[in-house]
Amino acid sequence: MAIGINYESAGSEDIIPIIKYDAKAGRMFRRDRVNGDNEQVDITRSFKAAFDFENLETGFIAFPVGGAPDFALARIGDRIPEKPTSDHRQGVRLLVKLTKDCGGDVRELASTAKAFLRGIDAAHDAYEADKAANPGKLPVFILEDTVPVVSEGGGNKTTNYSPVFKLIGWVARPSDLTYIPRAKSSEPAPAKATPPSTGSSRVTAPVDADDDFG
Amino acid sequence: MVVAPAHPPVECGATLSESDAMSPFERYGIEHLSPSSCNTFSAAPAAFILQKCLKRSNPVGPAAHRGTAVETGIAHGLMYPDASEEECITKTREQFNTLNALSTDSRIDKEAGVLADMVKTGLRELRPYGVPSSMQGHVTHTVEGLSVPLIGYYDFEWAHKNVLIDLKTSHTVPSKIKLPHARQVSLYKATRGEHLSARVTYCAPKKVATYELENFREHLSALERVCLTIQKFLSLSDDPLELASYVVPDVDSFYYNDPVTRQEVFEIWRV
Repeated sequence: MAIGINYESAGSEDIIPIIKYDAKAGRMFRRDRVNGDNEQVDITRSFKAAFDFENLETGFIAFPVGGAPDFALARIGDRIPEKPTSDHRQGVRLLVKLTKDCGGDVRELASTAKAFLRGIDAAHDAYEADKAANPGKLPVFILEDTVPVVSEGGGNKTTNYSPVFKLIGWVARPSDLTYIPRAKSSEPAPAKATPPSTGSSRVTAPVDADDDFG
Repeated sequence: MVVAPAHPPVECGATLSESDAMSPFERYGIEHLSPSSCNTFSAAPAAFILQKCLKRSNPVGPAAHRGTAVETGIAHGLMYPDASEEECITKTREQFNTLNALSTDSRIDKEAGVLADMVKTGLRELRPYGVPSSMQGHVTHTVEGLSVPLIGYYDFEWAHKNVLIDLKTSHTVPSKIKLPHARQVSLYKATRGEHLSARVTYCAPKKVATYELENFREHLSALERVCLTIQKFLSLSDDPLELASYVVPDVDSFYYNDPVTRQEVFEIWRV
């Protein structure tokens, strides 16, 4: 290590199985590893999951064809890293815990598709609106619908589908849904530190509506 | 005949005294720090020296007793959901009178006049949370490099709701959590569980507001830095009067309102 090269692999803790939202088709897939091959299972209709929005990561992601994705992300609220290359696009990554009906395990969900980002942004708004009344809990969403979003450019019309996530309840954080910050391809530029705010958001007593989740 | 000494002489000429072997806190008989002592050191270092190093009296005024008494009444109302407001107010008044029994402070009447309304607003705000799972819980936090523990006592916790609240009484409700309170509550969150929603309820006669703590790690870190600064400051000297000579009290501060304290400040600092 005298020249500072790490020969170790990323480590199994860095490898989290994924779900993928296909914005062109408006479908949600679970990608499973079966006998060494990737197998995609359509879970659009059955999708129901607890979202770890508390640890949502935003920043830049590159999905090179045939290569591993590269993430330059920061936990929401932290300073976002610089855009590493022109191939990186604005995106998000978060962990979700699927209900038993659609998998039952913890999955990573990441995307740079604008249609997807619109949907996740709206879901995050719903989370923000109710989180004070559900301290320490995670929101549970279903994929209620997908709506077409038409964009025009260069004389072509492209239709993508934005997910419509519906907040249906809140659950205690599942024990296996633990956020561990992962390596970034680009460290954030040093920021001038400012005094932290103390808290000016008024909150009320939590509601007693505990969803029994998985 | 020459008799060899039992121990070889110390060559460097330096010997360790008992005081040298003690930590800065041990020298002053300080067994722990608390958010309150840290906030005092930050706001009024001379008051800290007066209380902790010179061991002078630290009389608590009617405003502090009002806080204690209102908390007692509200705690009663939370633990006994069927208790009437009047019953809680009576508990509050009884404690306030007991705490001020020997006081001749002219501010007693002013504070006594707001007790009932503060209990009412506090109960209105906190009863929807239900019966707390614990109250006045003791917490201890270890700060790396600090030779004493940092301790505190939180007011109310609802573990099943993941909420912890510290109650503050004041004549007006601030628009955000005050910095000393943010540091205090950050300690509770760090020790009771980071999943908790740590909150501060400000209870005034006509208004009440509960705010959620933000940036708790930063505030905890600030509290830890204050602790380490106190340790460094105390290590400057084992003579409390020398420490006193490094600071000047702002005698207009409420820390020196009490006439006895004011006199002591004058005798030590001549200001």
